[in-house]
Order: sequence, then structure tokens, then C-alpha cells
Amino acid sequence: MQNNHLRTVKIFRYDPEKGGEGHFQSYSLDIPQPEITTILDVLLRIQKEQDPSIAFRFACRVNMCGSCGMVINGREGLACKTNVAHLPSGQDITLRPLNHFPVIKDLVVDMSPFFAKYEDTLPFFEPIEQRSEPYVIKPDTKERVDIAMDTDCIACGCCVSSCTMVNNHEGYAGPAALTRAFTLLADKRDALFEPRLTRALDSCYNCRTEFNCTEVCPKSISGTRAIKYIQRLAVTHLKDIKPLPPHPAEEKAKNDPKPKAAEPDTPCSCKCHELPDPSRRAFLKSTTGMVGLGVAISLTGILGVSAVVPTLADQPAQWVPVGNAASYPVGSVNTTMITYKRKQAIHTETVNVPILIRRDSEQDFICFNSSCTHLGCAVSWDPTTKRFECACHGGAFDVDGNVIAGPPPRPLDRLPWKLENGIIMVEVV
Amino acid sequence: MNASQQEYRKPLQWGEIDPYRRGRSHVGMWAWLLQRVSAVMIVIFLCLHLIFTYKPYLQFLLLLTVIFHASLGVRVILLDFDLVNIRHHRWLIPWVLGFGLVLFALAWFVIY
Repeated sequence: MQNNHLRTVKIFRYDPEKGGEGHFQSYSLDIPQPEITTILDVLLRIQKEQDPSIAFRFACRVNMCGSCGMVINGREGLACKTNVAHLPSGQDITLRPLNHFPVIKDLVVDMSPFFAKYEDTLPFFEPIEQRSEPYVIKPDTKERVDIAMDTDCIACGCCVSSCTMVNNHEGYAGPAALTRAFTLLADKRDALFEPRLTRALDSCYNCRTEFNCTEVCPKSISGTRAIKYIQRLAVTHLKDIKPLPPHPAEEKAKNDPKPKAAEPDTPCSCKCHELPDPSRRAFLKSTTGMVGLGVAISLTGILGVSAVVPTLADQPAQWVPVGNAASYPVGSVNTTMITYKRKQAIHTETVNVPILIRRDSEQDFICFNSSCTHLGCAVSWDPTTKRFECACHGGAFDVDGNVIAGPPPRPLDRLPWKLENGIIMVEVV
Repeated sequence: MNASQQEYRKPLQWGEIDPYRRGRSHVGMWAWLLQRVSAVMIVIFLCLHLIFTYKPYLQFLLLLTVIFHASLGVRVILLDFDLVNIRHHRWLIPWVLGFGLVLFALAWFVIY
């Protein structure tokens, strides 16, 4: 009977005295009532009954203090709030310290990077005016409704651990710090609106709208909502934002080609206003430029090759049927429209041109290209004057196609022709 | 042992030694990631489309990727400008993708 309640619990172990990468250690624990057993209960029981060397943090046990944040089966959460029954039934219980924080021992992490970024967003209230009586925001005002429960943040670090951006962008303060900034930015009583907004806008565009922070927050606060609110403030307060003075390291980089590493006591530890390593930044800039140039050149090359080269090549000639030879009386000159397809570079066009056909005898035809040799207008046969006339510039050709008037530089072009089963064909390009 | 000799383990990265991470990651992250991947696919398909013209299967793939990318882009725009209440963000993804699919079907059957 007892074995039915036996669950495997894997706990991440890291011993600072031994170092290394850390590993999972498995424990078996009898959990008869998973609905009312929290992960914190599991940890306390294992520590008491099986392995007293496990290190983890907890304090209030009622979802108030934010000490026991950890990654439970791939999702961040508070050990005291997550019941064993909340986890997928087929999975072992897997406990792991929060991401993106140095691990001190087992499940205990060093939260100082979190609070360093927290401090960068000026997380304190600075009143505009001193009052002897409490200055409250009324509960039904829009700003209070906007702030909502976001002041409930307990700084457990779950959001920063779940965020895929915060560790890859040095200047990004993260969801918790920006939520704190948002609660103060929305507060009309606060005097530090401009510097706080400038700092928050500097980092809030690193959010990729993934909602990981919203999904894991044990207090159901949406970091994404706060970040979007700050981003919208940029639209309404564009003129209020003044760039912070450049950090001394920036000035130094301009004068000194080989600057030293960043000073230890920088006012902004998230490094958003400082030049982290000028040579690195210059390298990134030039690399981005080179990659962009390479992409542009290769794209232009592909497009150029596919679009331009075919037009340079000779067009293949093709034989096109004009009509039944019997329909052209001997001694006449006729105009017939022919239609054929011409493949031109990346597209195929349908060509519709008139062909001038003169029949001298049973077997003698002359086919003229109707295009005027001057500028390419279509010439037409005038049966009264017995001339080919071009309407555009007054060019005229005799019945053999020779120029008799106007600007055309040479006789009409003649097209190769042949008879096939009584059908007259011309060769066109 | 002296405390100064003890070392912190370097921070664990997202998904590092985390057996259930990918299986239990959230839908918003996939929306972002797939939009990025589809952007690269658009560039590839666009080049192919310019080289091999009027190939229906290529046009089909290109239109599909463009609509997919645009739908997820519309999702971000709607959330950015607070046009949809942010608490519905999970439902927004199937809605915009479904809307995009309808547009895709319309466009495809009008062309062919």
C-alpha cells in the first residue's frame, strides 16, 4: 500500500567546498496526501528524515516573503505555494535553483544581481511636496486602478529566472525592477518621474513579449503589462525624456584608443549607461556592419544574376505561324497580327505585333517587321499611295521596304519565313 | 574551511540541467521564437521566389510564412497599444493565427 504514494524527488546539489557543475540527487519520499503537501513540506521532510545537508531558503511558509523561489519541474515558483498535486502526475519532483543567479549551495542563490538591477530603477518613493497628513491616491482613480496589485511584488526572483532576455542583455533591468518602476511612474505624487522614466525606457525595449514572467509570478503580477505601460509612456512623454549625461567611460573611450576596464564604482550597476568594454562595442559595431554589408551584397548578387543576366543573353528565335497562305492573294500586301510568348528574364510576356506580308507569286513572300526603323512605331500599308507609312514622324517606305521619305535610317527589316503545309511561318525573337 | 575559499557556482542558464523545462515552457515564448524563425524563412523563400518564378508550391510556402509572421506581429502590436486586454494574451495567439489562416485561404483561392 505504501508504495503507491512513493515519489522520487530529485534535488539539485552543489557543494561550494567541492565546486564543479552540480548534479541532481534522488530521494524517495512517501507522500500520502499530495493535495495538501507543498514542495516546502517535501524539502523539510527530506532534510529531517533523510539528508540534513540540503540547503534551501524559507521564512514565512505562506506565500508572503519570497524566500523559497526555485525552479520546480521546469517552472519557477514558490516552494511553499506549489503543492505536489499541482505537478504533472507522471513526472518526478525536480527541484533546481533559480536561473541567472550565482548558486551559493544547493537551492540557495545569491540574489545580489537582482537587487543591483532593482536599485537602478530608483525603486523608492520621493514625494513632490511634504504634507503633514497622509497623501493617498483614491482607490477609484485611474492611476490606482492601473497600478492594481503590482505593488504586491515580493522580489522572489521567479520572473527574472524565467525571462530569456534578462541574462542576455546587460542593460535590461528585468520584469521585477520594471514593475517596481511602473508602480512609481504611474504614481502622481512621486517627484522622480523623469529620471526613472529615462532609466526604465533605456532597458524596457529588451522585452520580447514572451509572458514568461507573467506566467510564473506567484503573486499573479504581469511584468509584461508593466513593461508595456512604460513603453506607452514614451509616446505620451517623448519631450520630457532628456538623455542622461554620458558616463565618464564614454568620454574616455573617445580620447583614449586603449581604455582600461570599467571603473569598479559605477553608479549604474546594470551597465546601461556605461560603456562595458569599448573595444567589444566597436567590434560588435563593425561586425554588424560587415554582416549587413555581406547580406546586402549577396542579396543584390542573387537578384542581379536572376534579373539582369537573362536580359543580356540573346533571345532565342522562334517560328510563329501567321496564317494560311491561301488567304494572301498574289500581288497583295496584308497586315496580320501575330501573338506569341516571349520569356524575358524573370517573367514571360505575351507579344502582340503586326506583320506585313507581301505576296509576289505562289511561292514568293516577303515578310516585313512592321516596326519602323526610326523609333519603332508600327508602320501601316497605304494601298492608295502604295507605300508603308509611319504615323509617328512621317517616315515612308516603298513596296520593297526602302526609305523614300522621313527620318528612318535604313529599310524595313525583313523576317525569315517558310511555308509549312500551306501555313506561312515567320521567325521572330 | 575558510569562506573565501568557497566558490559560487556560475549562474544556471535558462533550461540548463532542467529535464522538464522545454516540455512545460509557456505559449508566449513559442509565439516569439516561431516568429523569429519565420522571419528567416521569409528571406529564404523570397530569394527562391525571385529566382524560380511562378512556382505554386513556392508561392504557397511564402504566403503561409508571411501570413504566420504577420499574424504574430499583429499580436504584439495589439498588446503594445493595449488594444486587447493583456489578461487574454494566451487566447490571442490562436485567434490571430486563426484569423491569419482565414486570410491565407481567401488569398490563395482568389489567386488560384
